[in-house]
Amino acid sequence: MVLINRIKIFNITMKPRTLILAAVLMMTSQNYLFSQDKLNIKFGKISAADFDLSKYQIDSGANAVVIADIGSSYFEGNSKGWFSLVHKKQTRVKILNKNGFDAADVYVILYYDKDSREDISNLKAVTYNLENGNVVSTPLEKKSVFQDKLDRNHIAVKFTLPAIKEGSLIEYTYTVRSEFYFNLQPWSFQGKYPVLWSEYEVSIPSIFDFVFLSQGFQKFDISETSNRANNYMIRESGGTGASSAFTFSSNDGIHRWVMKNVPALKEESFTSTIRNHIDKVEFQLATVMIPQQAPEDYLGNWTKLSEKLMKDEDFGESLDKDNNWMNDDVKIILQGASNDLEKMYRIYAWVRDHFTCTDHSARYLSNPLKTVFKNKNGNVADINLLLTAMLRHENLQAYPVILSTRHNGYAHPVYPLINRYNYVICQVVADNRNYYLDATDPDLGFGHLPSDCYNGQARVITPTLAAAVDFIPDSITESKVTSVFLFKEKSPGELSGKFSSTLGYYESLNLRDKVKEKGEQQYFKDLAATNSELELSNIKLDSLKIPEIPIQESYEFKMKNEGEVAYLNPMMGEGYKENWFKAVDRLYPVEMPYTIDETFIFSMEIPEGYEVEEIPKSARVSMTEGKGLFEYLIAKDDQNIRLRSRLQLKKATFSRDDYQELREFFSYVVKKHQEQIVLKKKK
Amino acid sequence: MSWFQKAIIIVLFLTLNLSLWAGEEPYAVSKIPAELLKNADVVKRMEDIRFELVDIGKARHYVKYAITVLNEKGDEHASFEAYYDKLQSIESIEGTLYDANGKKVRSLKKSDLRDLSGTGGSSLMVDTRIKSHNFYCRLYPYTVEYEIEYRYNYTMFFPGWTPVEDYNYSVEQSRITVVCPADYVLRYKTLNYQGQPLIQAEKSNKSYTWEVKNIVAIENEYATPPFSELTSVLYLGPSAFKVEDYEGNMSSWQDFGKFVYALKQGRDELPDNIKQKVHELADPMMDPRDKIRVLYKFLQNNTRYISIQLGIGGWQPYDAKYVATKGYGDCKALANYMYSLLKEAGIKSYYTLAKAGDFRTDFISDFPSSQFNHVILCAPLQQDTVWLECTSQNLQAGYLSGFTSDRPVLLIDENGGILVRTPKYGLNENLQVRRIKATVDNSGLLSADINTTYKGIQQDDIFDRIHILAKDKLMEYLKKEIDLPQYDVSNFSYTEQKDRIPSIDENIEITAINYAAITGRRLFLTPNIISKSYYKPNPDETRKYPIQIRYEFQDLDSTEIKIPAGYVPETLPPELKLESKFGKYTESVKFLSDKIVYYRKMERYSGKFPATDYPELVKFYNQIYKADRSKIVLVKNE
Repeated sequence: MVLINRIKIFNITMKPRTLILAAVLMMTSQNYLFSQDKLNIKFGKISAADFDLSKYQIDSGANAVVIADIGSSYFEGNSKGWFSLVHKKQTRVKILNKNGFDAADVYVILYYDKDSREDISNLKAVTYNLENGNVVSTPLEKKSVFQDKLDRNHIAVKFTLPAIKEGSLIEYTYTVRSEFYFNLQPWSFQGKYPVLWSEYEVSIPSIFDFVFLSQGFQKFDISETSNRANNYMIRESGGTGASSAFTFSSNDGIHRWVMKNVPALKEESFTSTIRNHIDKVEFQLATVMIPQQAPEDYLGNWTKLSEKLMKDEDFGESLDKDNNWMNDDVKIILQGASNDLEKMYRIYAWVRDHFTCTDHSARYLSNPLKTVFKNKNGNVADINLLLTAMLRHENLQAYPVILSTRHNGYAHPVYPLINRYNYVICQVVADNRNYYLDATDPDLGFGHLPSDCYNGQARVITPTLAAAVDFIPDSITESKVTSVFLFKEKSPGELSGKFSSTLGYYESLNLRDKVKEKGEQQYFKDLAATNSELELSNIKLDSLKIPEIPIQESYEFKMKNEGEVAYLNPMMGEGYKENWFKAVDRLYPVEMPYTIDETFIFSMEIPEGYEVEEIPKSARVSMTEGKGLFEYLIAKDDQNIRLRSRLQLKKATFSRDDYQELREFFSYVVKKHQEQIVLKKKK
Repeated sequence: MSWFQKAIIIVLFLTLNLSLWAGEEPYAVSKIPAELLKNADVVKRMEDIRFELVDIGKARHYVKYAITVLNEKGDEHASFEAYYDKLQSIESIEGTLYDANGKKVRSLKKSDLRDLSGTGGSSLMVDTRIKSHNFYCRLYPYTVEYEIEYRYNYTMFFPGWTPVEDYNYSVEQSRITVVCPADYVLRYKTLNYQGQPLIQAEKSNKSYTWEVKNIVAIENEYATPPFSELTSVLYLGPSAFKVEDYEGNMSSWQDFGKFVYALKQGRDELPDNIKQKVHELADPMMDPRDKIRVLYKFLQNNTRYISIQLGIGGWQPYDAKYVATKGYGDCKALANYMYSLLKEAGIKSYYTLAKAGDFRTDFISDFPSSQFNHVILCAPLQQDTVWLECTSQNLQAGYLSGFTSDRPVLLIDENGGILVRTPKYGLNENLQVRRIKATVDNSGLLSADINTTYKGIQQDDIFDRIHILAKDKLMEYLKKEIDLPQYDVSNFSYTEQKDRIPSIDENIEITAINYAAITGRRLFLTPNIISKSYYKPNPDETRKYPIQIRYEFQDLDSTEIKIPAGYVPETLPPELKLESKFGKYTESVKFLSDKIVYYRKMERYSGKFPATDYPELVKFYNQIYKADRSKIVLVKNE
């Protein structure tokens, strides 16, 4: 029962009925592909025949296979005057080999806070081994179940099944009760091991309306909806020990999904997160309809959500207070600042340089702003909301912006599903221009965002509106310009050179990080050592300490050729040596963090005593629809050779269908970048 | 009182006052001696450790320290972590942050302390918990001061003392005092420490104090001996000690072994069905070596490694019955189980404590103490000794891998413990022999059939990989991880040779497009296809510490590359022969009518070398690095 993010409740009155209907309709329009629609699996009923999976086609790379993963969620009346959620799970797995032993280690995470805790019951687990044709079962002992308190809100219930061998069948089941009734458990049909049958059923009393969301590549084999009359007994104890009870009659909505033969998840490079691709269903509470009362809207719309967030003490409430505890410090920070832009910059830089971000995934304050201010650390919401408050304190036009990072996965394009958001930044307006600020990374410049933020739509939160703003990878370009000039020296074959490169913004960020780790001197030493044949001198890193602009790296060097024939790769070590896309096949789209534009300029004087024997051929290759362009233009005359190589990827995201083209395109780049200039000694 | 006397008093008073005033901010950065700032990210300003042995089973441990963090690289030392569990409790924690002037900024509040589970990724359950804290200061320099007091309800471990805790870390002052009853034999050993401890009587106790002042920061260098050999270290150990109901003495390895034996004594009783199984498997075998092999296989097929460490369970194995029914255990439990299986088969073996970790050399043989983190099994036979790593489901009987080989270990039996050395795998065992038959065509496409035999330590990684990955995952791995610009793998196979020193034969068929770069009439080709050395040490004029190379190996390559018709060599790398203290290297390239014949041999020696040899090491490796990447140029005559 993972409650990764705290659920917030919003009492919103608008009812987006049509949206919910649309969602439900989408789910139920799946067709029935298989005749078998019930799985005949009972806990503890295992026969020798159950060990034989030969009739199934199982991926030969699988170490274990989930035969059945069956879950259900339903509601029951509790003694606190409301509903509790009950989640049951039953799993049967066959362990195919030693590397599948991990499937026998089970972790259930329970959430607790000061008012309520989730609890686990009916935990049973048994291992079955086939010995001389007989099924031998070994049950899990109670004392082998451990409870490990992870932090203030989470307990891990952990156990491992006994007597595991290659070929063992394991089975476990448990029930989790939770008073966090709005947190209807999501269900993943896909995981580390292939699944033969995954099934989830939810029963929802008519008082609740949930939005269903599904994602993934595979279609449901069964998706059905029915209704059933049900009575709920709800009790409530009064202050003096007296208790009242009432019954609530409902026409429950029952939804059941089945997916068969789901392959194991596969990780690939250049995917922003695998979470976007798992086959799963999730839920969001939309409306609570208590009879004889006006329906209460929990889903709302962006405007309502925005309004709520700004009133929430863990989000926007303190942004507009007078916050006079910061008066003295802000005064010092802004001493001598003349205009708004300078004020913004000063405040931003101060927060960035004085605070440590301890958690880059959060959307609520973990402490009041004043405490954050004092302790100089906090999560991303703490720090960027404090930044917003400080800007507002100076009457600057600043707003919080919520978004979901690439690592977190896509946010929902339509519904205001706050749970999907995991990051807060700040928008500030000056001279009709919007600046987006993130003060959690010490190397980030004013107006720049980490590439992880470029994941689609973000929302600017104001008291009246949640305006959408797009941060898409296609909109940012990592451009780099490198030049190498070689000059002939008096002595035959000798050349002196100047190297200079203006890095892309994100490459600069990485380099700043690296230099911080190693120290500048060590970085120079290492650079000189990697190019030991070139005798580097005068190595410089410009703008290392100015995070707003890219770094310029430069050095001078010397080289000498003495042989009859001299070879020189004009890319001077800057070419692509390896295809980024080594894998032949691709399952998911390629998602790069930005588009690319790299230019390399090379110019050389032909060294004394040599003449040009051969140079590579010029070439120009483009991908279809202008998705990518590669130019390699080389020319020579009596005195000089000049090269210009440019690589452009104009899109950051490539579909699976584009993969082969992308791979071949890169392959060509790598090939051209290997080619050599050949010089010969003059006779 | 004369005016003169008065004046003196006044002067004294004034100076006293002044020093008091200056002493108010003892952590002011301005007070750090200049030489301690050199190469330092962190300065330990003061440290005061007091360890009091209350009685044989109880101790108090008090630590106060202050460190000044000079820059971002030092931040990691500013975080605080303290461990506690059933045997060891935390009485109090205090912390204060100071600015560069030594002025107090703020103090630790109880609510700022995080309380975390100590169970890491490799264990199912450990009862250790962690209190952690951090001031997260970013205004450099700053100083953090922490004070903590522990109570120990066991005395198996005495704290150690390592004033210098890292590279780029200087120490202004650090002191440790150990107090124990006057008649208690305190055992200690120092490394790189000048002088003797100050010993004083404290009522019925005796106290021992060690102190250092003004130690300059040291810099990290490549291939140094273990950190503990580079700086002042004090090891402390108990004589008599107690853990729960077990008493022991650590004065000698033999005594310590007796304690370990007592912990496991009587835990070797097997259930009847397992006893039966043992006889079924082992009795038909005549050679004890075969008995061990089948029983080890039985262990591997019926158990797996699961770590659960609760209280004394950190040192005491779960008994053999537990392992037999649950089918799992940690290193102690599995080694004890294997011991029990062998015992049932009439083979004597030794439960053996080891300090595990790839190529570790930091075991202190002459100071008996609980330095171990692992248990293996040793079965001495008439002609040979069989070593067993009982936590692996795959290793073959007798082979230890780089994890526990070549180091002292403690064999345990009813007479106590004795130190012996595990086998070393050397130059002739750690082999990589590679034969490549390849063709390059007119487009630069390389097709190669690569046969490699890996042996000894050189097969450890591949062994793990082929046992962890299924065939198609292995293919995926091979298609991604070979260091070639672009290639494809069409076929591969692995065959294990289960000799005394295991080896693996690997066959890979690859094609690599554009492997040879073609520019006009010329074809450029690196004859060393996949056997390049990646090590390229930086020159260092100020090398300070000895060089320690931890294991040795030998690589042999012979490659034939068929080239397209019409090409003749324009440039071939000259033959290269290197010989140094660090190894040998030979490379030669020959052109024979339509093919290139490439030969490479590299030997790396292990051992300890003086710092003055460093330039030779740099030269040796840089020459190899360059040679491994040298290109052949062929030209087509038209």
